[in-house]
Amino acid sequence: MSEQIQNNINQMQAEIEELRQQLYEATETIEAIRTGQVDALVVNDGSGHQLYTLKTADQAYRVFIENMAEGAVTLNKDGIIMYCNSNFARIVSCPLSLVIGQAFEDFVTEDNKQRFHELFTLSWSHDNKEEMSVHCDGADVPVQLSFTALQLDDGVALSVIITDLTSVKKTQLQLENNNRQLAAINKALEVSNHDLMQFASVASHDLQEPLRKVDIFSSLLLSKASSALDKEAIAYVEKITAAVKRMKVLITDVLNYSKLSSGHNEFQLIDLNELARETLNDFELVIKDKNAVITINPLPVLNGNKGQIRQVFQNIFSNALKFSKPNEPVNISVTSRKVAEKSLTAREDANGQYCIISIKDNGIGFDEKYLSNIFALFERLHTKDKYEGTGIGMAITKKIIEKHNGLINAISSIGNGAEFLLLLPLY
Amino acid sequence: MSVKRILLAEDDKDDCLFITEALKNRGDFFLMPIAENGVELIEYLDATSPAELPDVIILDQNMPKQNGLQTLTLLKKNDHYRHIPLIVYSSSTNNLLIEQSHKLGAILILNKPSTSTEYNKMMDDILMVI
Repeated sequence: MSEQIQNNINQMQAEIEELRQQLYEATETIEAIRTGQVDALVVNDGSGHQLYTLKTADQAYRVFIENMAEGAVTLNKDGIIMYCNSNFARIVSCPLSLVIGQAFEDFVTEDNKQRFHELFTLSWSHDNKEEMSVHCDGADVPVQLSFTALQLDDGVALSVIITDLTSVKKTQLQLENNNRQLAAINKALEVSNHDLMQFASVASHDLQEPLRKVDIFSSLLLSKASSALDKEAIAYVEKITAAVKRMKVLITDVLNYSKLSSGHNEFQLIDLNELARETLNDFELVIKDKNAVITINPLPVLNGNKGQIRQVFQNIFSNALKFSKPNEPVNISVTSRKVAEKSLTAREDANGQYCIISIKDNGIGFDEKYLSNIFALFERLHTKDKYEGTGIGMAITKKIIEKHNGLINAISSIGNGAEFLLLLPLY
Repeated sequence: MSVKRILLAEDDKDDCLFITEALKNRGDFFLMPIAENGVELIEYLDATSPAELPDVIILDQNMPKQNGLQTLTLLKKNDHYRHIPLIVYSSSTNNLLIEQSHKLGAILILNKPSTSTEYNKMMDDILMVI
């Protein structure tokens, strides 16, 4: 039995020795390939001898360099082009065969040659990237040169990647042109806006002048000629006077509306409680007249144009008082809540940066299907005989709220009063 | 109370009519002939005897040849007339006009009235300051 075992051991030892030899040869071969001592291998794979060259590994890179969009060259320490891809030859519009062996600086434009020299010298120790120009058939091509030192078999070489910037530059120029045009249009718009403002100002004054005369002459007519005028004629004159009064208010309103369209808006911190109370002072007589009770719950302080916000309060309070039910004491309640998002249905958030102010009245209300009319210019829901007004007040209010980057809406139904909701940023 | 003499420089015929009408019904003012502009006003004053000089002069701002403020300046420089209270009125007063008028010595700057009632009120206001 021990003889059997001994034979097995001997056999295994022989196999191990063979494997060790194979391993040694394989390692040696790999080492030789890695260090470049061999270029090719001949392998007998059973079906014959096969030649494997190391060029197979290279090929991927060669194809890549040939087909990439940039130009690529390799320079030796004297700046001579040892290798270049066909893209570079295309960029400088020179046949490949004539490029190799040339000094790279021969392709650089005169005014860039010195800088190229500097970069060439510097790039052996660290990478550089710079824009300059190269020749191409008489024309200059804007390029970006990217320098890197390479460790190659035969020593150190400088690789330069040349990126053609022609289309980039073209796009840049277009962009600059577009920007210039935009600036010019902006300026023209500013001028036009200013002119419009001036026009509105002058027009409104010049329009008021004749109105003033019509007004006075009408009243002179009434006082002087009332004996010569019959009842109808007197009524006509009174209609003239009434129309003139409306026209005056309209012109002022239109002027105010146009002023809102101009850019500037001076903001300051406003205590809305104070402002609301101040505004209501102006309505003292009407409030007494209609037995109105107005409750103002705490309102925030916010950043806005005081004059304009006052106008908003004036318009809304004026409407709340005007469109009241004839025999009922007027009740107006003002409340507010802070919210975090710019939405009139947002829920309360004490840390929010917007506030929603609600002004609710118990007046005649309106049909919500006319909601968009309320805020439109000159649209009214009632005839001017029933309720006076030019129909521009709410349009001005809406414009002011929008200028403050806010939102405005109203909730109402006939016979059930109206609630106006204003959303305004606090800062 | 004595009747106050008013001298007015006003180029707009309608405005002349309005003032004339407004004063007709009051007994407290006498309207001297209306000058069409600042130059005429001064010429007229030069031709008036000291006893008949106006108690108040009203100047319309927008007049040809010489406007309200220009006339105001000249009157204040003149020894004969600088003691007469001067009022400037205009259909378009603005902050600049108000400032300049005060600076040059006007006692009142007024908006041209828009109704007969306002004309009456204007005359009442003038009576209070002269």
